[in-house]
Amino acid sequence: MIAEETLVQELQQKESRSKAFEVLVNTYKERLYWHIRRIVLNHDDTDDVLQNTFIKVYRNIDKFKGESKLYSWMYRIATNESLTFLKQKSRKMGVSDQELKDKMVENLQADVYFEGDEIQLKLQKALATLPDKQKLVFTMKYFQEMKYSEISNILETSEGALKTSYHLAVKKIEAYLKEN
Amino acid sequence: MKKDKNNSFNTPEGYFESFNDRLMDRIKNEEAGEAASIIPKTDGFKVPDGYFDEVTPTVLSKTVENEIKVIPLRSNKRFYYGIAAAAAILIFVFSITWDSNPEPITFDDLANAELEAYFENTDWEMTSYEIAEVVSLEEIELNDILNDDLEDDIIMEYLDENVDNIEELNFENIDYE
Repeated sequence: MIAEETLVQELQQKESRSKAFEVLVNTYKERLYWHIRRIVLNHDDTDDVLQNTFIKVYRNIDKFKGESKLYSWMYRIATNESLTFLKQKSRKMGVSDQELKDKMVENLQADVYFEGDEIQLKLQKALATLPDKQKLVFTMKYFQEMKYSEISNILETSEGALKTSYHLAVKKIEAYLKEN
Repeated sequence: MKKDKNNSFNTPEGYFESFNDRLMDRIKNEEAGEAASIIPKTDGFKVPDGYFDEVTPTVLSKTVENEIKVIPLRSNKRFYYGIAAAAAILIFVFSITWDSNPEPITFDDLANAELEAYFENTDWEMTSYEIAEVVSLEEIELNDILNDDLEDDIIMEYLDENVDNIEELNFENIDYE
């Protein structure tokens, strides 16, 4: 795998940009896909948001100053794009954020790209009750197996606060699964 | 078995050698969340076959290729003659029917639905506090931003229904009865 600094340099130079961008897309598409998918749940929406994320990365690569890691920067763009997408969707449908989340989980039952059984569906219902930040921290830690230090860079939140969010999320999910 | 010179307690063979590993395992398990037994390990999402192979060319066509695409000019000469002829006819027709003094389009000509759609679909990326900083409320009457005028008796009716003891609000100069 190509070193991150080299890749950034190549991305910022016009002559090497297109080749380097292809490497970037191939390196990160799967990881970003799963990150977005766990926020917007549906495959087609994820595809839209993933493409928008890469387009934003491409257009703004000159502004990337290297203060954070390239992948943290891309994850941050993907997170913001996903949350903005959901906000716009709820506005278009004229429903509240929570109503949209409930609807999204309801739609999973008929989704051909969701193979979850009853317990996995319940997990999604439990996740829909959490505040955005707690849900993000939980899925990044539990399913994407990211380190607190990585999540901290992406969400720009201290590790201590993330640990608290994660514990709260686990407790709430456990309680929901036991109750229902 | 290992014996400490100063006391008579024993530890199993290799206890201290393996202690670090066992401790690290336990910390790791606890960090991963003891709830793992209840919460499923996977979340059941899948992707269409071949999706990850297809997405790279799609993204590249919207970024890299979009930027370097060059449209050849010379080969379309005949096509341009056609366009020019059509344009000449259109200009001629319009010059006959054209109102030489058209009214300029004003803000009032925009349909309310268009304005609403614009505000709804545009992401302002501003919080309500930031908007409040830009739009000074001192210059705006509350009724300017409400669909229906807020009449005093509607306010009183609302308070009457939703506040337990209206006198606790400590109104001065009230005259609502």
